[in-house]
Amino acid sequence: MKREHTFGGWRLLVAIWPLFGFGGCIGSNVLAHEQRLVAPVVAELQFAPAPALPLVGLYESVLITGEVALAQRKVYYVFQGDGTYTAAALVESDGQSAFQTLSGTWRSLAAGLELDGKEPVPLEQAPGHVRITAPNGSLVLRAETLR
Amino acid sequence: MVQSMPRKLLQWIGVAAVLGLLAVAIGALMLVKDRVTLVLQAEASAAGPDPVALLRDDVQTLQRELGELRSQLGGNFEHLGAALEERAVARHAELQASAREVAQQHLQQQHAAERAAAAQLLSLQAELAALRSSLPVAGNRVPAADVSPGVAAGPTTEPAPGQTPVGENPVGQNPVGQNPAGEPSVGGNVPAGPEPTPTKETPAAAKAGSFLSFSVPAAKFQFDQSQTYTLLSDLCRVGFDAKSTLHDFTGVTGKVAGRFVADFDDPAGAWTGEVTCEAGTLKTGVDGRDTNMWEYLDAPHHAQIRFELGKFEATKVDVGARTAAGTLHGRMTIRGKTRDVSMPITVATDSSLRLQIEGQMPLKLSDYEVPVPSQLGGTITMQDEVKVWIALRARVQVGGAR
Repeated sequence: MKREHTFGGWRLLVAIWPLFGFGGCIGSNVLAHEQRLVAPVVAELQFAPAPALPLVGLYESVLITGEVALAQRKVYYVFQGDGTYTAAALVESDGQSAFQTLSGTWRSLAAGLELDGKEPVPLEQAPGHVRITAPNGSLVLRAETLR
Repeated sequence: MVQSMPRKLLQWIGVAAVLGLLAVAIGALMLVKDRVTLVLQAEASAAGPDPVALLRDDVQTLQRELGELRSQLGGNFEHLGAALEERAVARHAELQASAREVAQQHLQQQHAAERAAAAQLLSLQAELAALRSSLPVAGNRVPAADVSPGVAAGPTTEPAPGQTPVGENPVGQNPVGQNPAGEPSVGGNVPAGPEPTPTKETPAAAKAGSFLSFSVPAAKFQFDQSQTYTLLSDLCRVGFDAKSTLHDFTGVTGKVAGRFVADFDDPAGAWTGEVTCEAGTLKTGVDGRDTNMWEYLDAPHHAQIRFELGKFEATKVDVGARTAAGTLHGRMTIRGKTRDVSMPITVATDSSLRLQIEGQMPLKLSDYEVPVPSQLGGTITMQDEVKVWIALRARVQVGGAR
């Protein structure tokens, strides 16, 4: 028995389906496996050494790495033009969070950032960000403005 | 005499009439005595139905009603049995949850007690070390009257210009007061003279560290011990991949929350906790489809999709690298229906010491009584089975399991 196929009925409906405004649905819209995990914004930053960088301004941490990241959750620095700074860190211990505050002196040298006259630590720069690297962790700070 | 005659006559006539009537009556009775049947019948029965028939009808009605009651009673017993069974299952689940909660609280209290004891020990050791180090100073350089709490006692052994922590130190370090004049100083309110130089005799100082002039409490990421992890909502995603007649798509949400207690080196793999997401925040990129999806998930009435952690069956654990792989067993609740599930997962740790947990598993919508979407009379249909996946980041709670 010979079957005659005609381009009509439901086949036609399926064929013209995209023409009725559903064209955007066609094609796979599946999130790739490697894109499921939220990527931190700082991962895309390209840091370069920033000797003697004029740091004056307000900075907020966006990433803390290393063992210190277990307890230190957030850091703010205000580097002032007169060579002083004030800072606050949110530190967690035994399930309780509390701010520590500091004030002291700073200098941006060729060797990096000197805080309170101690050994300078490497200082790097990316657009809108700086990275300070200490022996037990690093701190990525984003430049902020006081509003 | 004349008047008494008619009276007597009348008396005789009356007697004769009575006797005559009596004779007629007797005669008539004799004639008809065999033809008369005396029937005594209740007055009401003459007009009403047959009582026996009524009684029979009543019995039949009662039998019929009894049969109906019997059949209904059987159904009701079945319903009652099902309800009791459902209640028993729910009660069992409640009891299990309560038992887990009690166990978790017990664990938390135990850890808190251990930490408190350890902190007290460290404090005592620090005080002892401070006393030891201050004794020769007090004896040689500082008058006894000057050694009092809250009084600065000279320069420090390690000058650190500019370092002036302000306020109460939350981590049990030696508090360092701010110099009223704003001058850099250390040891403003350290009792008993100069700040001791960290040595092996001061374990409290040795335990703590500093990071860019901040004091940081000693904290270890103990991958091989029971610890509490809190999901970082901003860095978590859960979703599903679905296939339909026309194309494949992903539904995803970042509204994820949860906490869990896990020990990756525990052979029993007993994990507790849960991960939840908001059903009404799942999005596929097509508004109309999202609206239908929320309706299918009955998001207004079952706002949360919940995954209750049960057991981690590890296939690979590297404590040093802080990585693991295995199968996570638990109970998934969607649209109010709870089913046992198993999800293969991988665990890694990023540079900020946050856990990265990724996994996926197949899931049938029909198992949770979620209608499978279909459009145009079934021309466009979605497959019943979807791939559910998680991509989570969690931070360990400093201070151990809680």
